[in-house]
Amino acid sequence: MTQVRNKRAAEAWYSPYLMEIFRNISRRKLRSFLTISGIVIGVLALTTMGAIAENFNALLDGGVKYFGSNVQVGAPDGQSAALLPISKVEEIEKVDGVAAAFPSYGFAAKPGAVASVSFGVPDTIIASDPAENEWAGIKVTFAQGHQIDAGSTGQVVLGSTIDKEFNKKIGDTIDLPVRPADAKPDFINHPFQVVGILNRTLTAPDSFAYINIADGQALLKDSLPIAIRDQIDVKQITEGINVYGKPGISLSGLDQIADRINAQVTGVKATRPSVIVSSFKSGGAIFTGITTAAALLALVIGGLSVVNTMFMAVAERVREIGLKKAVGATTRHIMGEFLLEATVIGGLGGIIGYGIGAVITIIANATAPPGQSTLFLLTLRLTLFALGFAIALGAVAGILPAWRAARLDPVTALRNQ
Amino acid sequence: MANLQLKELTKHYKQGKTVIKALDGVTLDIGDGEFVAVVGRSGSGKTTMLDMLGLLLRPTAGKLIVDGVDTGALGDRDLAHLRGSKIGFVFQEYNLLPSLNVLENVMLPLRYVKDRTDGRKRAEDLLDRVGLSDRVRHRATELSGGQQQRVAIARSMVNQPSLILLDEPTGAVDTETAEQLISLLKSLNQQDKVTIVVVTHDLDVAKEAKRQIRLKDGKVVADEAVAPVPIA
Repeated sequence: MTQVRNKRAAEAWYSPYLMEIFRNISRRKLRSFLTISGIVIGVLALTTMGAIAENFNALLDGGVKYFGSNVQVGAPDGQSAALLPISKVEEIEKVDGVAAAFPSYGFAAKPGAVASVSFGVPDTIIASDPAENEWAGIKVTFAQGHQIDAGSTGQVVLGSTIDKEFNKKIGDTIDLPVRPADAKPDFINHPFQVVGILNRTLTAPDSFAYINIADGQALLKDSLPIAIRDQIDVKQITEGINVYGKPGISLSGLDQIADRINAQVTGVKATRPSVIVSSFKSGGAIFTGITTAAALLALVIGGLSVVNTMFMAVAERVREIGLKKAVGATTRHIMGEFLLEATVIGGLGGIIGYGIGAVITIIANATAPPGQSTLFLLTLRLTLFALGFAIALGAVAGILPAWRAARLDPVTALRNQ
Repeated sequence: MANLQLKELTKHYKQGKTVIKALDGVTLDIGDGEFVAVVGRSGSGKTTMLDMLGLLLRPTAGKLIVDGVDTGALGDRDLAHLRGSKIGFVFQEYNLLPSLNVLENVMLPLRYVKDRTDGRKRAEDLLDRVGLSDRVRHRATELSGGQQQRVAIARSMVNQPSLILLDEPTGAVDTETAEQLISLLKSLNQQDKVTIVVVTHDLDVAKEAKRQIRLKDGKVVADEAVAPVPIA
């Protein structure tokens, strides 16, 4: 009974308290609208720019995961052709700490396509052993269909973006590489049957078309100059070798494997994965820094409008402040009320700005041309940051006006005209 | 019930090189349940005295003891708590918050006290008592001056104070409304045993008090009981 009574008493106090804040905000509609608009624009900028940064970071995170899980082995520096004898795979497998090594081939899926500024990875044909997926840092999963059948040829598994671009279904055929509009007469491509479509990963595999090694070797042969094409046995060469340590091996452990490969296997160059990983991370940090700083600048400018509005509110409500002090409000009460009002303004701006930003990013992603990577990625982290920053900005912007209000002399305030 | 002791209570202001003696060594007691009118010309120190009794102003010298507590020893926070729990204010200009409705205005002082039990019911009862139970959802700006002042009186009572301080409560209302307000104040004083100190120029209000304190140049020049008004 007492609890119910206390609850009623609390509600009786709480409800008008919040209502007063909202009514105060609505008392000066135009001013409140302009102030909240300042926050809205800032949060909108933070949301959209942040979503671009998050999208880019997701791409880079994929790179970090992938390149942080294996050692990339290629031709040594200075070698004119970036090709390796496939026998190097066996040599590398004998190096201490190496658990598995796979040859790999990569080709542009759309040769001759005009390079454009993009936050995605260009469409690429990857020829690799399907068993490598068990070792890779990014595990691809199937939205439809299945993995390429072992020992088969002419099968392809498409990433989500490339599949959307070419609008293929399981069982459809796709010619790879895609013939350019201005292809020379000797351009060769091959029909592949789509046997699998991958789930979205938000990173490189979305733009990949996976084929078998034998098919990759055929494409490699097609890519060689006619003069030497028949003199090289492509089954004996590879473009690169992906080397894996035991499951759960650390980045430094992989670095040590890279060092041992360089020391023990001639004619190859193993790159320390930590070097690749750090380059991905620094690229991401710079991009995130630039986009976030630009958006935060807009938001801070919006915050200044809150400061101005709250100072005006204090000036207009001097008598109210005096009255509240007369009926028992302490300095802390007055400060708290004005801070809460500023925080509500920040929160309202944050919610509206984030909402508009979210709608824009969703529409922009939904209307992105087929095959083009989406530009925005809304994450929980970004959502919490955008809303949290708007609320915190409102609160911080309210400190000085609230302090001025709280310090008003009640007698002077009560008789203010 | 409130017992006030003023001992050589002094408030001086500096205005340039001049010292203004708003209150100059006032010593008097106001006992529980008294109805006191403070009168005097403008600038005599009436409002300063009221502000000091309401703990809104600290004295330059002297002491103000409320129910045995020397208020000079209290910090701002304690003074605010004492104001909230023991003292109600009524001002000439009503000072109702335009963003709140009538009921919310009456409930405003509840925000700043710990015990809010039955606060809403008390507020509703008080509005009923001042004849405004049909106006609880109205905004202050929708009421007449007299109605606003009755809301202010209800607000001053919501925390069940033992002392109500009124600064020219009839200064902005017509004669008929002033009479209603005086009747209300007498009822609060007699039925609720609330100590009332009213600063006024209005002789009709002053003659309804049980005691009249006259100030001049910050000093008490007369302090006398008021003869009961003969029944016509």
